[in-house]
Parts: sequence; C-alpha cells; structure tokens
Amino acid sequence: MNPVFSNLLSRIGPPLIAFVLFVGAWQAVVAIAELPTYLLPKPSDIVAAAADNWTHLLGSVSTTLIETILGFLLSVIGGVLGAILLASSKIVERSIYPYAIVLQTIPIVAVAPIIVIWFGAGIRSIVTIAFLIGFCPMLSNTLIGLNSTDKNLNNLFTLYNATKWQTMWRLRIPAALPYIVGGLKISCSLCVIGAIVGEYVAGVGGGQGGLGYAITYAAMRIQTPYLFACGLMASILGIAFYQIVNGLSRKWLGSWHESEMRGDHD
Amino acid sequence: MQPILRLQDVSKVYPNGTAAVQEANLEVGEGELISFVGPSGCGKSTIFRMAAGLSAPTAGKIEVLGTTPEEARRSNGISFVFQEATLMPWSSVRDNVALPLKLRQAPRKVQDEEAERALELVGLQDYAKALPRQLSGGMRMRVSIARALIANPRILLMDEPFGALDEITRQTLQEELLSIWRRNPGMTVLFVTHNAFEAVYLSNRILVMTPRPGRISREIAVDVPYPRGDRFRTGPEFGRFVGLVNESLKH
Repeated sequence: MNPVFSNLLSRIGPPLIAFVLFVGAWQAVVAIAELPTYLLPKPSDIVAAAADNWTHLLGSVSTTLIETILGFLLSVIGGVLGAILLASSKIVERSIYPYAIVLQTIPIVAVAPIIVIWFGAGIRSIVTIAFLIGFCPMLSNTLIGLNSTDKNLNNLFTLYNATKWQTMWRLRIPAALPYIVGGLKISCSLCVIGAIVGEYVAGVGGGQGGLGYAITYAAMRIQTPYLFACGLMASILGIAFYQIVNGLSRKWLGSWHESEMRGDHD
Repeated sequence: MQPILRLQDVSKVYPNGTAAVQEANLEVGEGELISFVGPSGCGKSTIFRMAAGLSAPTAGKIEVLGTTPEEARRSNGISFVFQEATLMPWSSVRDNVALPLKLRQAPRKVQDEEAERALELVGLQDYAKALPRQLSGGMRMRVSIARALIANPRILLMDEPFGALDEITRQTLQEELLSIWRRNPGMTVLFVTHNAFEAVYLSNRILVMTPRPGRISREIAVDVPYPRGDRFRTGPEFGRFVGLVNESLKH
C-alpha cells in the first residue's frame, strides 16, 4: 500500500470508525426505543432537516461567519495594540490593566443587553459582543508575551543603543509571538461563541439571522432536528476557525519555536 | 597613557541588601586580555554589567574610554558576549550577526557585507542562512562572538562565554579568540571564567576575586608571549601559573 495513504489511514481511521459506530448506535437506539423526534432526533432526521432548510442554514452560517470574523479581527487588533501600549510603560500598565481584568470577569450575557441598547439590535451589537469576548485573552496573552522577553537579549538591545520602538518591533513582538498565537487560539473559539450569544440577544436586525437566531427560532418552534443541525454547524464553524489559526501558528512558529516544531530537531 | 577602563573604589549593593562588589580598583590598558577568576557570585558579572553601563555602581567611579560607561556604550565602543549565545531564534545567523548594525540603521548592503566578514572570522560563512536551532552549542557561541565583533568594539566583555561547552570546542574557541584578538591590536578583551586553565592560557593578566562581596584580591601577570599554542598548554610554566591561580582562589 502507498505509505502516504497508509499513514493517512492510520491517522484518521480510528476516529472515523469511532464516529461511524457512535452515529450508528445513536440511530439504532432512537429507532428501537421509538423516541419522539422533538426529544431526540435520529442522525438521519438531522441530515434531512439540514437538507430541507439548506439555504436557510447556509445563510445563517455565513451571517455568523462574517460576525465572527469581524469580532475576531477587532479583538486581535485591539488586544495586540492594547498590549503594546500597556507594555511600553509600566505606569500605563499598572493604571489600566486592572480594568482590563475587570472587563474579563464581567459575564458577557450581563453586558449584552446594554450593548444592544447602545448599538441597536443587529450586526453592530453582535460584532461588539464577539469582540468583547475575544479581546481579553488576546490582550492578556500578548502582554505576558511582551513582558517575558529574555533578559540577556533585552540587555543586548540596550547595549547596542536600540530605541524603545526598535526593541518592541525587533525583539519583544517576535519573542511574544508564541503567546500571541496562544491568545489567537483561545480568542477564535470564543468569538464564535460571542457571535452566537450576540445573536441570541441582538437577533436579526434587518438582514439574515445568524446561527444563534436560527437556534432560538427553532427552539421556540420545537424543531429539534434543525436545532441539532444548527448546533452542529456552529461547532464545525468553531473547529474550522481553530484549524485556520493552527495553520497560521505552524507557519509563523514552525521553523523556530518548540511548540510547533516536529521531527528531528535538536 | 589613559587607561581604557578604570574602576575607583567601586561597590555595588543590590536593593535586597546583597553586597556584590566591594571597593574594586582596577586599571586596564588598551589591547590587554584580562581574565576575572573567582567563585560563583563573587561579582565578576556585576563588574561587567557596570562597565557596560547596564547597571550603576552604588559607590565609586567607573571610567570607560575616558568617559562614563553609558557614554562609551552610546559611542558603540563596547560589545558583550554572554554565557549563553543569546541569539534571536526566529532570525537567521546573518540577521543575528548584523543586529548591532541594523540597530544603528546601517544600509542593508553594509549589514550584509559586514556580517559576511564577521562570519568568516569565526568560520561560519556557510551558515549565514541557517537558524540558530540548526547549529551546535559551539557554533551558536561563534555566532554570538561574530555579532560582538561586527560592531568593531574597543572593549569586548565576555562573561563566561565558553562555560557551557565541551573541552574540545572550548579549546578551539580559545584559539579563535586569541587569533581574533591578535589581529585587532586596539581591542581590549575582558573575560570571566571559573576555569584557571582557561584564564592562564588566554590572558596577559589574571584578576582573582574573593567570594561575596567580591574584591579583587590578587593580580597575576602571565608574562608569556603570544602565540602560546600547545607547547605552553602542556609545559611546566603553565602548571606553575595554574597553581598560582588555584592557590589564590583558596585564600
């Protein structure tokens, strides 16, 4: 057998078999027990519900995707720039960072209605909620990274008369990259949750509703198979996002950082 | 002639109360190669950090190149080699070596040419594009030395640079250091080591330091001409100097 194919098979074979067994058992148990669909639909019911409402489901996924991307980008830009600002002065860090922690501890569902009052129902509120939930891990991870630069490398930059900006750009930011990537990995999954929570609270707001809205709507009408289909799509969205960030992590760190190095390095 | 480095009653007490250096006095002339020998924590590295302007003394006065350490540093007169190679793992060997010139905003062409020259000095011209993790410990240290040399320093401070290397690599790098130093007659090298053999082989003067708080307790002039080579390393004179250093360390 082709070694590449055999390697692929050995990697995806076991989880694939486990998945098929799980889905098969689910289908069989629900059919034999004759459980009502509204309580626990069979996998075939979920697939049928997704196929029947395909355009709706796709529309909801694309709406949530756009909101998540916007919220994520804002939280990355805000988190990294905020951390650079805090890390450039100890006084600024001591004055502002405690409030960033307070922001992190406030449950997002508690502030979501206020955000809707400020920004109105719709995409602006949803993106703001996704941003708020993704921002804190980006900020704190980046800040830890910027403050963990090797002491001797820092001394070296001082010795060669580097300006503050040169030290930040050439040393502290690259050295913080593994931490920034850690923040991205946490933040990307949180932004999907943020967007869906935002849709629960802020609804449609004119355009096509996202997955959160579709979930609320299906729950109200007890369309359990479609509810499952929406939940499944939300988790696929989360996994896809995480995998993209994972790919970026390998690209940025693969050549030099332990966390992403594979094979025979010393 | 004005000394290159002068310490006058220099003391350093850290904020936690640890007295690292006590009333150290020293004059270093241009072109010397001096080793500081002493037990761990005797303040050798502290003296180096103060001479490089990275830390200020709590008492006394330090003059480097006729001015303050900070000023000497600003005029690019000082280079430092740490115990670890201290390289940026994300940058190529060439970019690591060119760092001092990059920070001075030298043109890219100059950076590349000078990096090439410095890498040739340490025999790593074929590894310019490699990343630090692809090199052995000895090669990484060579990169670190090349980076220190690219800045054309008048004072090269080396804080136990060969401490983590195996004996064979250590001896090879000692030879390379001596050859580089001899080709740059104006360059003064200050070298920290725990190793009496290394100190005797390299230096024209050895300063023995006492345990904390560190004082310079004895000065041993190794008046043996360069190049020294294996005959000196295995001869009776070498043993006599090593014995002198060890005896001074015990007292």
